[in-house]
This record gives sequence, C-alpha cells and structure tokens, in this order.
Amino acid sequence: MTDTEPASTASQTTTTTAGETDEEVRAEWTDYRFDGQAKLSVENLNVWYGDDHAIKDVSMDIPENSVTALIGPSGCGKSTFLRCLNRMNDRIKAARIDGSVELDGMEIYDSNANLVELRKRVGMVFQSPNPFPKSIRDNISYGPRKHGDINKGLLARLFGRDDTAEETELVERSLKQAALWDEVSDRLDDNALGLSGGQQQRLCIARALATDPEVILMDEPASALDPIATSKIEDLVTELAEDYTVVIVTHNMQQAARISDQTAVFLTGGELVEYDDTDKIFENPASQRVEDYVTGKFG
Amino acid sequence: MAREPYQEALADLRDDVLAMGELVGERLEMALDALETGDEVLARTVVEGDAEVNDLYLDLEDRCIDLFALQQPVASDLRLVAASFKILTDLERIGDLASNLAGYAMTASEGLTPEVAIDDIGRDANALLERSLEAYATGDAAACRTIAAADDDIDTLCQHASETVVRDLIELEADDGLWGVEQLLDDVSRVLLIIRDLERVGDHAVNIAARTLYMAENSTDLIY
Repeated sequence: MTDTEPASTASQTTTTTAGETDEEVRAEWTDYRFDGQAKLSVENLNVWYGDDHAIKDVSMDIPENSVTALIGPSGCGKSTFLRCLNRMNDRIKAARIDGSVELDGMEIYDSNANLVELRKRVGMVFQSPNPFPKSIRDNISYGPRKHGDINKGLLARLFGRDDTAEETELVERSLKQAALWDEVSDRLDDNALGLSGGQQQRLCIARALATDPEVILMDEPASALDPIATSKIEDLVTELAEDYTVVIVTHNMQQAARISDQTAVFLTGGELVEYDDTDKIFENPASQRVEDYVTGKFG
Repeated sequence: MAREPYQEALADLRDDVLAMGELVGERLEMALDALETGDEVLARTVVEGDAEVNDLYLDLEDRCIDLFALQQPVASDLRLVAASFKILTDLERIGDLASNLAGYAMTASEGLTPEVAIDDIGRDANALLERSLEAYATGDAAACRTIAAADDDIDTLCQHASETVVRDLIELEADDGLWGVEQLLDDVSRVLLIIRDLERVGDHAVNIAARTLYMAENSTDLIY
C-alpha cells in the first residue's frame, strides 16, 4: 500500500452508482495509492467494547507529512479508531483490540512496545481544551521534563544539569509552532486556565508539539471553538502537515474538505466505507452510502 | 430524507435551467422562421425578448451562487450546481445568437436568399440543443457523447454552406452583376454571419453536453 503510483489512477475509473455493491466499491478504493511513504499502516483492525463490535476489520495506510481526516456519523467508530493509533484504548478495560498497527514499520501492539515512547512519538489533542492548571510555560515543559529531556530545579542545579535555557527555547518554539507565541509571550507565567478556549486549544497543540512527536492525532479539536478560533486551528493543522503526520477526527465535513489531503469515511457499525483523496470523496465518491452521507441525505 | 429545502432548491434549479433552455430553443425557432419568411414582426419579438432571457440568466446564476455559499454542495449535488452554472452561460449565449439571427432577418433585402440550406442547418442546430437539454434532464452520459459527434456534421454543413456562398459571389461577379456591388456584399456577409452563428449554436449545445457529462459521470472528456 505504500506504492508511489499516483492516487488518481484509482479515481479515473470510478463512477457514482446506486447499483454497486459495497464489495465492488471497496474493491475500487482498497487499491488507493498515494504519493510518498506510509507513516502508519493499519491492517485488519477490530475493536470490541464488550459485545459491541466497534471497529470492523479496518485496513488503511496513512501517509506521512499530510492531513488525513476521519469523518462519519456519531457512533461510527472514528474516535475509537483514532485512539487505537497511540494505544489510548488500552486504558479502557472492556476494550478488546485485534489486528495490526505499524508506525514506520514497527508494530505498536507488540508486547514489547514502549508505551511512553509511543505516545511521545504519537501525540494527541482532544475535543475540549484540557490545559494543566499551571502556568503556560509549565504546560509546555511538563512533557519534556517527564521524558527527562529537560532537567530543572534544585537537584538539576546541584548536578550541574540545569536546562532553563533549553526550556525557554522549547517553550518559545512550541508556542510559535502553535501560532500562540504572539498572544502570550508577555505572560508565560500566567495560569493557562486564564486563556480563551481557542488559545487553550492551541496551547494543548503546543504542549503536544513540545515532546517532538512525529504524528499528531486530533479528536475534533475545533468543535468547541468559535469560527475565528476554528480558522486559526485549521490554518495551524495545514502548516503542521509540512513537518508532521496529522490525523484528525471531525464532525464538520466542510472542515475535512478544507484542510485534509485524504479522507476516510466511517459509517455506522465501525466500517471504513471509503478512503481516498479528499477531493474525490467530496466531488465523486465511489460509494452511494458515502454520497448520501456527504450530501446530507443520510446520517 | 434530510435537508429537504436544500434538495428542493436543487430540483428547482434543474427544472428552471430546463425551462430557460426551452425558452431559448423557442426563440431560436422563431428566429429561424423569421429568416425563412422575412417576417419582421416575428423577428422584432425575438430581439426584444432577449431581455427576458438575460433576466432569467442572472436570476439562475444568483441562485447557483447562493447554493454554493449557503449550502456548500458536495459530490453529485456539487456537480449539478457547477454544471448548471456553466450551462446557463451557454443558454444565454444561444439567446444572444437567436437575437442576432432575428436581427439579420430584419435587415435582409427581399429575394436575396442564397441557395444554401440555412433553414436545414438551423433546425439541426436547434435539434442538437434539444438533445443536450434532454441529456441534462436525465443525466444521460451516452447521449452527451453522441451530441459531440453530431456537432461535427453541423460544422461540415456550415463549411460547405460558406463555400457555396463565396462561390456564388464569384460567379455573380463573373456575370457582371445583377445587383449593386454594395448590396451584394451586404447580403453575402450577412449570410456568412448567419452560418457562423448557427455553427456556434451547435458549439454551445456541445458545451452543455460536456458539462452534463461532468455532472453525470465526473468526466471532463468533452470539456476543452
């Protein structure tokens, strides 16, 4: 699935028809090819919450340095799928996961996989901004300190390993990457909870960037924000894709259309129904069910 | 079905584009009749009626823009609105051409219809317009491809007709002229313009078919 054939070859032959079976439609897009390398490769992923089969046999490759949107109606499993990509579902006792997820060819569900290292490489931003009730500066440096990348405080000073200068540089770089620096540079020691919702969400993105991840997972990062704050997040996502692999779950189909390079459509029952270039999904989807969903006739 | 007012707006857009197409087809038919019979009153009706076509065009264009801005159509809905938006322009141009043809009928001198089958070419071009509108109404991709092929026949007829007119001109000159040179040049150039305008009606019908093919199958094969 990491072939470098142009993506357009699959879309040339497809037509939107009501008569095609799901199997025929699936046969069209499972050949989906994109330019570049796959960062994440998901093979035959199944997730159960107790008896509920939440994700059904999903396979897809996610290309590096691009934005992949996951869309679908509520309860279709898109957030569950997203959480599988950095093993957040491990924390849910009732969840049972079967299948394979590879990050740069390494199986993340391997029993020897280092979860701390995985979550450092695959960061996450949630729907509601959730900054720590600490200063803006501490919110950014918390992760790198936990990972031991930054040493600060009395002990560090005693051992001659005080990284205050590195911390200052990291805080500035992360906040600039998250397009928040100009708004908070003069109040880094203020409590983060004093920021607006949109600023808090960009702070959470800066916090995720501070651990130097390779993949950033976003679960409806703008759904609680006003249109101006939303557009800032959307601009930011587009910029981040130059250096990071972004996977974003969104209820807002126009947002997916605006900012993503490829779109995966999950429909009720945890099924990945279609995955293709975003313009193909929104201009000429292969599946009639996807057509009905994106045009608002269903879902 | 969800978004009912939106779905109704899409259906109304399609119906009204077809209604505009029908109106333009009628105007073209009247212009051809006026050319054939020299009926000045009929010709004037067509020329004066062009404002109605223009108003319809602006109204429908506005509705397409509203749908884009307010409803953000996607997939087949997007292709319907985008295709209709372009087809409207072709229909408006055919309306202008009908008006031109009627104008020629008003200024033509009596008894100077050259021996070319203008009426036949006109009926063929109008039939092609009708076929393209039928294809749009039903989303018939196969019909769109046959329309493009049929236009080649109209182009050939137009080319032959133009050659005939020029040949007649040369022969008339050789006969030392039955009419004044000025009058002759006026009539010949008018006939050449009529032929050119009819050929353009065919081209616009092909454009409509090309956008309809995009609408039906997301294919840009006929768009060039």
